[in-house]
Amino acid sequence: MDSPFSDPAFWSRLQFGFTLTYHYLFPQLTMGLAWFIVFWKWRALQTGDEKYNQAVRFWAKIFGLNFSVGVVTGIPMEFQFGTNWAGFTRYSGAVIGQTLAMEGMFAFFLESAFIGALIWGEKRLGPRYHFLAALGVATGSWLSGYFILVTNSFMQHPVGYRIEADGLLGISSLSAYLLNPWAMVQFVHNQTAAVVTGSFVVSAVGAFYTLRGVHATQALLYLRAGTLVALIASLLVAFPTGDQQAKAVGNDQPVTLAAMEGKFQGGSMAGVSMIGQPNVKERRLDNPIEVPGALSFLAYGTFESYVHGLDEFPEDTWPDNIELLYYSFHLMITLGTLFILIMGYATFENWRGKLSTNRALLWVLMLAFPFPYIANTLGWMTAELGRQPWLIYGLFRTRDGYSKVVSNGDTVFTLIGFTGLYFVLGLLFLFLVGREIAHGPDDGDENKLGQEPAV
Amino acid sequence: MIAIWYVVVSFMLITYVVLDGRNFGAGMLHWFVARTPQERRQVVAAIGPLWSWHEVWLVGFGGTLMAVFPRLLASAFAGYYLALFLVLWCLLLRGMALEVGGHINDKLWQGFWDFVFVVSSFLLALLFGVAVGNLARGVPVGADGTFSMAFFTHFKVKGDVGLLDWYTMSVGFFSVVLLAAHGANYLTLKTEGPVHDRSSAWAKRLWFATVPLFVIVSFETWKVRPELVAHSLQNPASWLGLIVILASAVAMVLGLKKWNEKRAFLGGNFLIVGLLATGAAAIFPVMLFSTIAPEFSLTAYQVASSPNSLFLAAFWWPMALIMAAGYFIFISRRYAGKVSVKRDTQGFY
Repeated sequence: MDSPFSDPAFWSRLQFGFTLTYHYLFPQLTMGLAWFIVFWKWRALQTGDEKYNQAVRFWAKIFGLNFSVGVVTGIPMEFQFGTNWAGFTRYSGAVIGQTLAMEGMFAFFLESAFIGALIWGEKRLGPRYHFLAALGVATGSWLSGYFILVTNSFMQHPVGYRIEADGLLGISSLSAYLLNPWAMVQFVHNQTAAVVTGSFVVSAVGAFYTLRGVHATQALLYLRAGTLVALIASLLVAFPTGDQQAKAVGNDQPVTLAAMEGKFQGGSMAGVSMIGQPNVKERRLDNPIEVPGALSFLAYGTFESYVHGLDEFPEDTWPDNIELLYYSFHLMITLGTLFILIMGYATFENWRGKLSTNRALLWVLMLAFPFPYIANTLGWMTAELGRQPWLIYGLFRTRDGYSKVVSNGDTVFTLIGFTGLYFVLGLLFLFLVGREIAHGPDDGDENKLGQEPAV
Repeated sequence: MIAIWYVVVSFMLITYVVLDGRNFGAGMLHWFVARTPQERRQVVAAIGPLWSWHEVWLVGFGGTLMAVFPRLLASAFAGYYLALFLVLWCLLLRGMALEVGGHINDKLWQGFWDFVFVVSSFLLALLFGVAVGNLARGVPVGADGTFSMAFFTHFKVKGDVGLLDWYTMSVGFFSVVLLAAHGANYLTLKTEGPVHDRSSAWAKRLWFATVPLFVIVSFETWKVRPELVAHSLQNPASWLGLIVILASAVAMVLGLKKWNEKRAFLGGNFLIVGLLATGAAAIFPVMLFSTIAPEFSLTAYQVASSPNSLFLAAFWWPMALIMAAGYFIFISRRYAGKVSVKRDTQGFY
């Protein structure tokens, strides 16, 4: 096992990581967008203003495309537990299978039953039932997120289980498992992060139409709602949810926190490094610029608190890719801070009534939408790299979890297959979403992309 | 408790096959029953809004299987590695074809996605049949409860078998014809105009063809696993399955004769339920039969979760099923009626 290429767990990790990262690009938008659609549908019911219905129809189409890609890329995730992680499934399927089954039974049935009604059923259902369909889809998507996060939280911080006579895991308390304190924290953090993605996309489309001089009423609606929600969600992602998440890591996975911050030696007054690269070989952070005491305060509440260093833990419990973990975590924090600044400024301009005339800001808003996707991905990389070398923290190691009967070559083959299929899928998705955005909401504005706007 | 969960898991898989099987069938017949672009959109619209609802039954099945029979999932999914990825990719392509095909009104674009739709539907029907054949015949489970299987080896049914052999291929072929017939029933029910008439003609031909195929496959099963027949004759559940098969066959023949499309379609549904349920009852309690040595076979009792986990799952699962039944009623009301050639009554395109 000297080279990662001869390590079967490496290839299965790469495949799972790739397919999951790709898959999660789509649900994070649908979970964030769902409540915009519910809100606009509710406003349409309340005010009778047709512009809200136009917004619902337009965003439901974008939602539908994301939902379809989410479904087709989600099914391989569940199968891979069996195909690539048979050891893990054998050991813990009785526990994590519960929530994976609940996700299908409670959330997907709900979501997929109402998605068609939301996108195509407005005329048949009438406004009230159409609103309920939107609500059903939004609830389904968030429920599905909850069950997946309970599953992940069990891997981060196992509770509610017991070890049975045959050495495998079983459930001891379903309520303890479902109400895992880690899952509560992770759920609010992750869901607000999904709302950040959704609101950035909404405001980016608004900025695009405004800069292009089309769909003025709709564009202003997207801009105002998008930037305000984005500011609130960006603040919530950092505080209290991100803060609580970091505290949970500090309490339950102190070695992970040390690795995330590149702390090789423990101490009080531990600082947060703004710049610096971990040098694992030399056991230090290269060229660090630190805010002294900040980490002690953030993780444990006082500047004097003692923060553990990596040297206090046996090396076989260190996360196996400290550099990547460190960069993921720090870049996520940096992006999150930038989101607050951008959206804070946008909200200020909105309050001054200059949101749709400040062209520099509109350019920033239009081009900013990929970054929440990156930040979400980095957050998940922090969570999952930080959990290593464990599959279930403290109970079961990653190297014991892969399928012994599957050869490396088979996994590489399917990984390449996924890469090719997902590349084509991504092109199609961008092409079709691009068409929908170019077509725009049906608000009576005849100006389309590729034409000069009417004077 | 374990027997009940065996019934639940079989029920979910059978429901999935019945629901998505009609889509595979419609997909295979796509080129034959629909000739103009407009007719082709009609076929897609007949299944379009619902395929994802059908596919989540497979997800529900996978999750439930993992919760109650984790060791079976671990052994079987890793053992069928490449075959399963083939299924996954076909499902992915089928979903893409249905979703993106209608987005652009262009002959070449739709022609291409029709092709993807037909080929992936055919492969899925074939692969599911082959999978059922594998469950009946057994797989090379070793002493440690795992196996790894090639696509094909010597095409014989004993010892070191592969995914494909003469038996599993004939079950696969039977599955293709059966699901095509099922899809033809569905299209007859859901469409009007030329697509309806062609589907109706195909339904009669295909159902007629299933009769000799059923006899052949039954005879082959008796040759491959003689003990299964004896075993199922002692199991009241398989008698029940046989009665369902007979009753639904009669209902369907009457339905086809009297142009009662709903009765014919329901008869076809229950016929498939009866066939699969009889099979599931016949192999119980063995879930993976070993072709190497019968004592290596994995039974439901060996692969089940701990009693407490099964008990807790039994607490929430029925609630979820009741809710799913509620959505099913909503859906069948909303999408009742035919898809017209002129009008898009489903609002699908």
